[in-house]
Amino acid sequence: MLNFIARRIAAGALLLLVISFLSYLLLSVPDTDVGRTLLGQGADQAAVDAKNAALGLDRPVLTQYADWLTHAVRGDLGTSWFTSEDVTTAVTARLPVTASLMVGVTLVATLVSFLLGVWAGVRRGAADRFVQVLGVIGYALPGFLVTLVIVLVFAVNLNWFPAIGYTAFSVSPSGWLSTITLPVLALSVASVAGVSQQVRGAVIDVLRQDYIRTLRARGLPTSRIVLRHVLRNASAPALSVLGMQFVGLLGGAVIVEQIFGLPGIGSMTVTYTTRGDIPVIMALVMLTVIGVVLINLLVDVMIGWLNPKARVA
Amino acid sequence: MSRTTRNAALAGCLAAVLTLTGCAGGGPQGSAGAQLNLATLTSPQSLDPSQAVGSALPFFQAVYDTLVKREADGEFSPMLATEWTYDDTRTALTLTLRDDVKFADGSAFDGAAVKANLERFKKGGGAAAKWLKDLTSVEVTDATHVTLKLAQPDPAMLFYLSDAAGLMANPAAFAKGDALKTTPDGTGPYRLAKAKTTIGTKWVYERNADYWGEELPYKELAISFFDNETAIVNGLRTGQVNAALLQNADQQISIESDPRVKTTEQEFDFQGLLLFDRGGAITPALKDARVRQALNHAVDRKTMLATIRQNRGAATGQVFGPDTAGYDKALDTYYAHDPAKAKSLLKSAGYAKGFTLKLPRMSAIVNDALASSLTTDLKAVGITLKWEELDGSTALRKIFTDRAYPGMVMNMGQAADDWIVVNELVTPGTFNMFGSTDATVGKLLPQIQSGGEKQKEAARQLNRHLVEEGWFVPFYRMTYLHVSDGTVKITPQSGMAVPSIYNYAPAG
Repeated sequence: MLNFIARRIAAGALLLLVISFLSYLLLSVPDTDVGRTLLGQGADQAAVDAKNAALGLDRPVLTQYADWLTHAVRGDLGTSWFTSEDVTTAVTARLPVTASLMVGVTLVATLVSFLLGVWAGVRRGAADRFVQVLGVIGYALPGFLVTLVIVLVFAVNLNWFPAIGYTAFSVSPSGWLSTITLPVLALSVASVAGVSQQVRGAVIDVLRQDYIRTLRARGLPTSRIVLRHVLRNASAPALSVLGMQFVGLLGGAVIVEQIFGLPGIGSMTVTYTTRGDIPVIMALVMLTVIGVVLINLLVDVMIGWLNPKARVA
Repeated sequence: MSRTTRNAALAGCLAAVLTLTGCAGGGPQGSAGAQLNLATLTSPQSLDPSQAVGSALPFFQAVYDTLVKREADGEFSPMLATEWTYDDTRTALTLTLRDDVKFADGSAFDGAAVKANLERFKKGGGAAAKWLKDLTSVEVTDATHVTLKLAQPDPAMLFYLSDAAGLMANPAAFAKGDALKTTPDGTGPYRLAKAKTTIGTKWVYERNADYWGEELPYKELAISFFDNETAIVNGLRTGQVNAALLQNADQQISIESDPRVKTTEQEFDFQGLLLFDRGGAITPALKDARVRQALNHAVDRKTMLATIRQNRGAATGQVFGPDTAGYDKALDTYYAHDPAKAKSLLKSAGYAKGFTLKLPRMSAIVNDALASSLTTDLKAVGITLKWEELDGSTALRKIFTDRAYPGMVMNMGQAADDWIVVNELVTPGTFNMFGSTDATVGKLLPQIQSGGEKQKEAARQLNRHLVEEGWFVPFYRMTYLHVSDGTVKITPQSGMAVPSIYNYAPAG
């Protein structure tokens, strides 16, 4: 197992290097003029050239990348071109916001999906149809619409929760909970819709297996069969989907963070990418790659733990 | 697990969640006078005054004072400088400075500090550095007197000193590399609370207990950056945002009906087609004033205003804003929508069959409605409009560095100062990139530059001349809406979309 993890981490590091190079290249290729964007259309060409030179943009792209890489490996990700903030500080300040969202959504989605999926798979009939219809609705509703409705109802009209902003957990745990509840709710809808269908399908598949019939024949209570045997075997496919969704959540987080005015990684990615703030974008790309690698590793390890058949030799 | 226990467990979970969150519900935070929460779509690139620009001025005003204060109506009043006088040639501006102002480290604000700041601003490479291009030297007579020597008169100099160029930082900070970018050091009414601030997201300022002047009504000032107006509107509705400016017409309409909010209208930006190629280098037809007049007659400003801005604005044919001396109300309606006249003008100019006009399109400025209505209007008089889709940063290079287009559709702030309008749009430079001019312009510019009473009349004549010659094809001035959550009284700032930080007070 340790060998497997080490190999995966080494592959991840290589992936990080390749992606960093490609990203830098892609970001530098467009015919953009950062100095001009920074100083605005009213600035003299000489001032624009001076600005570009000050940022080192007058050098060849490969030199720029080598410079970025040598600093990055030492932990120096540079300074944002558009806000002058230290990139590491900027990203770490926003990371807890998005991390709160993603972990919150994963917890909520796991709990609710498993409850709904098992309920539908075990009981079938009306309960099953109900969950399936819920799933279709949850999947079909556009994320931004769900988010807007949730804000309007629970924040603007009922005033139960704040409509915008984020309170750090360290500042006030209850404030933190109140600021992330609605965003988590909004993001969970699609996740629950997807994962609960996976769980339902897997539960039905497992229930059809011969060994379940044998267990039943031996007189085991249904609750024990479901908890001990069905859930364990049905978890693997659900976990894979959850893992994929966790990564995909970043996309949903963009919209939710924008509508809730949350200063997280999602809204940051959009704002800084439109500006063309390469030091910040590179840091975000690196962070995402590391996140994806780690999550996939975690999911594989968990599936292996749940299902011995899936373990690598 | 039996069904009953399962249901009980579920209900328990639900109750726990509701209790936890319910008690921590939202609602207005802080009371009037304690904290002012502003929301904005603009963020500063740095808090170093040498990099300051007008659109992000409030971020700087909190921590820095300017030499001259610009009141809400645009009049100048004393701030760090108590008096200012020009010599007869208007090339030497003498300032008398306050003698009781100190920076946070105890060092005095004096003539030497003014000299150091102005020289640094001029060489600092900021977007507004060119404002001081005519500043040849700053002579420090004594601690409270300095004289700014200018290569030629600049009637907007006092404006600059009340804006980015007049922000005074502690010269001791200049030696500390990039420190000022995130650690401002000025004499202003507030100090940046670094612990509560996340640069790029939320800037929190706390009242400066040692402030030399009259304190502002709020103990704490927080400016939050948002990338969309939906979040701002929701914040205003729940009282989490106390004041903000809404540009989007739909967002304006969505919040106006809310009984909790207070609104104030202001016409600031104008939207229009800026023609650069009046010499006909790219599009030969544009060399003829009749063609440019035809363009002006072809556009249906009223319909555009109705469909694109839901009538939130005023149609106009001039680039000078209502706060300038050059503004003439009659010029707003100078060009009636008259396709027949446009056609005959084109015919007399030798373009009876029309011509092709190629313009850059950035979706942030030219939305689908605007693009299609302009295309339709011009097609009706025989002009084929071709849009070239560009993304923001590429566009700037192609338009301003490569000069690839004969004009562009632009949203422009309308300065309150005639000379600034002239410098932006008329003198050879960014928006007059081909350097077009004529005898009338050549005669009037020096008169505007020299200042005094003659200046106002000259500005009016210039404005009329530009409209008659069809230098531009302005569409309309856009109405922006200052919205407060009801706790704040906002006074709009003349010549600026965002109000100065001095313009907020608790609603009475």
